[in-house]
Amino acid sequence: MTLFDANTWIGRWPFAFLPAHDARSLVEHLHRHGIRRALVSPLDAVFAPEPGPANRALLRATRGIAALVPVPVINLALANWREELAACAADPRVIAVRVLPNYHNYRLTSRVADELVGELQRRRRRLIVQVRLVDERHEYFALRIKGVPTKAMGTFLARHPQLPVLAMGMYRPEIRELLPRHPRLLADLSLAEWERTVADLLARVSPRQLVFGSHTPFLITAAEVAKLTAAGVPARVATRIATGNLQRFLGE
Amino acid sequence: MCIIDVHTHPVCFREGRSRAAVDALVARGRALGIERMVALGDVLAFSRSQTAAQVALINDETALLLRWHPDYFVGFCYLNPTLGERAVGREVARAVGRGFRGLKLEIANNARAACMRPVMAAAEVHGLVVLQHAWSMTKIKQRAFHTDPEDVATLARRFPNVRIIMAHLTGCGVRGVLAAKSCENLWVDTSGAAPETGLMEYAVEKLGAGRVLYGSDLPVRDLPVAIARVTGSALDAATQRKILRDNARALLQLP
Ligand SMILES: [Zn+2]
Repeated sequence: MTLFDANTWIGRWPFAFLPAHDARSLVEHLHRHGIRRALVSPLDAVFAPEPGPANRALLRATRGIAALVPVPVINLALANWREELAACAADPRVIAVRVLPNYHNYRLTSRVADELVGELQRRRRRLIVQVRLVDERHEYFALRIKGVPTKAMGTFLARHPQLPVLAMGMYRPEIRELLPRHPRLLADLSLAEWERTVADLLARVSPRQLVFGSHTPFLITAAEVAKLTAAGVPARVATRIATGNLQRFLGE
Repeated sequence: MCIIDVHTHPVCFREGRSRAAVDALVARGRALGIERMVALGDVLAFSRSQTAAQVALINDETALLLRWHPDYFVGFCYLNPTLGERAVGREVARAVGRGFRGLKLEIANNARAACMRPVMAAAEVHGLVVLQHAWSMTKIKQRAFHTDPEDVATLARRFPNVRIIMAHLTGCGVRGVLAAKSCENLWVDTSGAAPETGLMEYAVEKLGAGRVLYGSDLPVRDLPVAIARVTGSALDAATQRKILRDNARALLQLP
């Protein structure tokens, strides 16, 4: 099965013993697990004062590596977000941007999120919302960063019913609640799990709305791959989740 | 691949009780190379602190699994230690008569609580393994009844002749591994939360290959994903074999 991974990262994460991948080591690692292409964002953009330097480094590091589609991070709490978006969008490889509202101190229901939607539509770029990066129970003890609330996500999506949005890191109950109500919402599988995860989700959710995401390096890539490749769902459905839905989302 | 899964809930939140469901689970397990499953019971079926009748019902269901598939399931007896010494004694006696091999503690009380004394005494007398729920609870202020890895270590030091499994490596994390390190009578199972990179290798480095046991926490986790936590780690094949089967076989004295 060819896999197109919606959810990978380069850079260092300070709170766990994760490998700090650069673009080359990430590609090699993903290839060993049968992942031929991946969307990749810079971890350095999560806690930095502003994501610009990390985005620039991402675009530099992925140049010439066709397997990696760079996905810059936009921080809507900062006055320069439009400039940052413009700078990133000047690179034709940038098809989507990633936002992390709860790491960057704004709500998805705030007006600036609607303004971002307008900007992205004007520039024909896609929106990826990182609902969480890690299980909240395992955050560093002094941090209090909850996932993007399902309610806020629902409100935002209801305001933009035609907007395709890819949500990363949702839990199983969140996917089961939101996706049937919002047909243009896609979700990656990374943090959703139950016995026979994919079949379990498909009982509620359209096969057009799920995408494979390994969340490398946070999660064991082989385990996330197994979630789909050993799911026992019809090959046609598995292929959609492995590649087709993400390609459609990106307009390929 | 030959696997023993030390942490399963074939019946979970009242689902999975039918013969057909259990047969299907056994068939699926066998297809994935899982030769035995330790059935821990529907430990949160009614509440976090279940009545004596509820405890008995949960264990009756586990006994039924063993009757249906005696060569597949290994039974652990769920206990609510807060019900007191007599209730615990009664339930343990039933479990021993049924050939259960261990006791399962969930979140009725913290493992440091005094009510654990008769539980651990019974475990020692009958040679039962104790599987204690554990999670690094720094973020969740429920330590009155939730057990931290440090609490399991305290339990293990208080009862050095009882063999204890600390559940949820991924829930306990690096901190949990370090808490468990000095307790030779303490093992850790590989279940808990999403499959975080690096913890399996860290646990083996600190505890040695002999004290890590494969556990899935089925059905809360997906079996192929749970297995790939081990097979997809950087550990060598011999270490993986120990985690997936040999350690559990020795600990539970399985053929
Ligand atoms: Zn469990």
